[in-house]
Amino acid sequence: MLRQRAVQQSIRRLAAANLSTFNKTTSLAQLAPPVAIATGRHTQIRQAATQPTSPSDAYSILASQRLHRPVSPHLKIYRPQITWLLSGLNRITGSILSGGFYIFGAAYLVSPLFGWHLDTATLAAGFASWPLAAQLAAKMAVAFPFTFHGWNGIRHLIWDVGAALNNQQVIRTGWVVVGLTVVSSLALALL
Amino acid sequence: MRPALLRQGLLITTRKASVPKPSILRACPPAAIQPITSIVRQTPRVATFHTTSRRAILPAGPQVLEGTANDPAPVPKPSPTHGSYHWTFERALSLGLVPLTIAPFAYGSLNPVMDSVLVAALLLHSHVGFTSIIIDYIPNRNHPRARKLFEWLLRLGTLVVGIGFYEFETNDVGLTQGVKRIWKAGSTDKVIGSA
Ligand code: HEM
Repeated sequence: MLRQRAVQQSIRRLAAANLSTFNKTTSLAQLAPPVAIATGRHTQIRQAATQPTSPSDAYSILASQRLHRPVSPHLKIYRPQITWLLSGLNRITGSILSGGFYIFGAAYLVSPLFGWHLDTATLAAGFASWPLAAQLAAKMAVAFPFTFHGWNGIRHLIWDVGAALNNQQVIRTGWVVVGLTVVSSLALALL
Repeated sequence: MRPALLRQGLLITTRKASVPKPSILRACPPAAIQPITSIVRQTPRVATFHTTSRRAILPAGPQVLEGTANDPAPVPKPSPTHGSYHWTFERALSLGLVPLTIAPFAYGSLNPVMDSVLVAALLLHSHVGFTSIIIDYIPNRNHPRARKLFEWLLRLGTLVVGIGFYEFETNDVGLTQGVKRIWKAGSTDKVIGSA
């Protein structure tokens, strides 16, 4: 999309700058846009007219224009970097942990109404009957968010006293957290 | 921003759907022989401000602008209770979680009092965390009523979960001991019922 627009815009500029360019040298029109810009007389002409607008019109124009803003950051084209990936992961893991915590707490409260057995003895007996692979997977699913969020939470608290805030340090502590998370979550799952 | 420019941007973006496939040749001949005004009309409509495609995850909410387009964003009235004290309280809570979550690993589990302290800290920490998520994703500017609704749902949820864990802490073995028993249930069946 971006490239298409670049082509269109450079054509428009070229045509506006020199109306006869395309007649004289048709081949120029087939060149790649950077070349076309470089060889053409590169004058920018902006097609903008001004006209008086009432404040309420200006309001609604701006309001409806805002509806057409692109999403920022553009997740698909933004380069994946440890800095923002871990930042998002901190929120995701925190939500998973708290979500589980809330679901269990609420379910435990209403369990007598529905006849659910959520006491630890029943849960432990049920868990013991799972196949080993499922047990390991379930333990990883808890241990990974827990260890990541815990280690990264400490990283957050270090930032909160104003330390380790430059880009290299944020990258380095990020990888430290990744390493600690891998080791400690595996250790917990195998416990 | 001049209103006319805005209007032009609006006109152009709303017609984006009709942008034809780019073809250098197609655009050229009329451009070469016609006056500039018709070039503007005939060249494919292009978004002037945003050259990135939109990719909306959700539809944008209603846009409510305070003041005119040229006014700065309003600055909320400073208040330490909603600002620095609140921030410091949240950090103190998180800091407290560090020993509280490490201790059960060191001592096997926590005594009932410390276990309840851990549960209370987790509940508050979660409430604070969910609050920031609601604030981030449901802007008051666009969705004041949804914001209120979710804030109240969260308060209700935290209350229900708090009572639930009160029951759990008083009737069952406690969070750390409970997690430990379930965790160990698979590997060594003898752990169940002991401790
Ligand atoms: C050692 C333990 C922990 C520490 C040090 C810690 C620390 C933190 C910190 C500093 C934040 C704020 C992040 C920010 O400023 O953006 C945070 C957010 C959060 N934490 Fe924790 N945390 C811990 C454990 C937990 C646990 C066990 C849960 C769930 C039961 C949890 C749930 C959350 C949630 C839901 C958020 C909000 C996420 C967000 O705003 O992005 N945390 N935590």
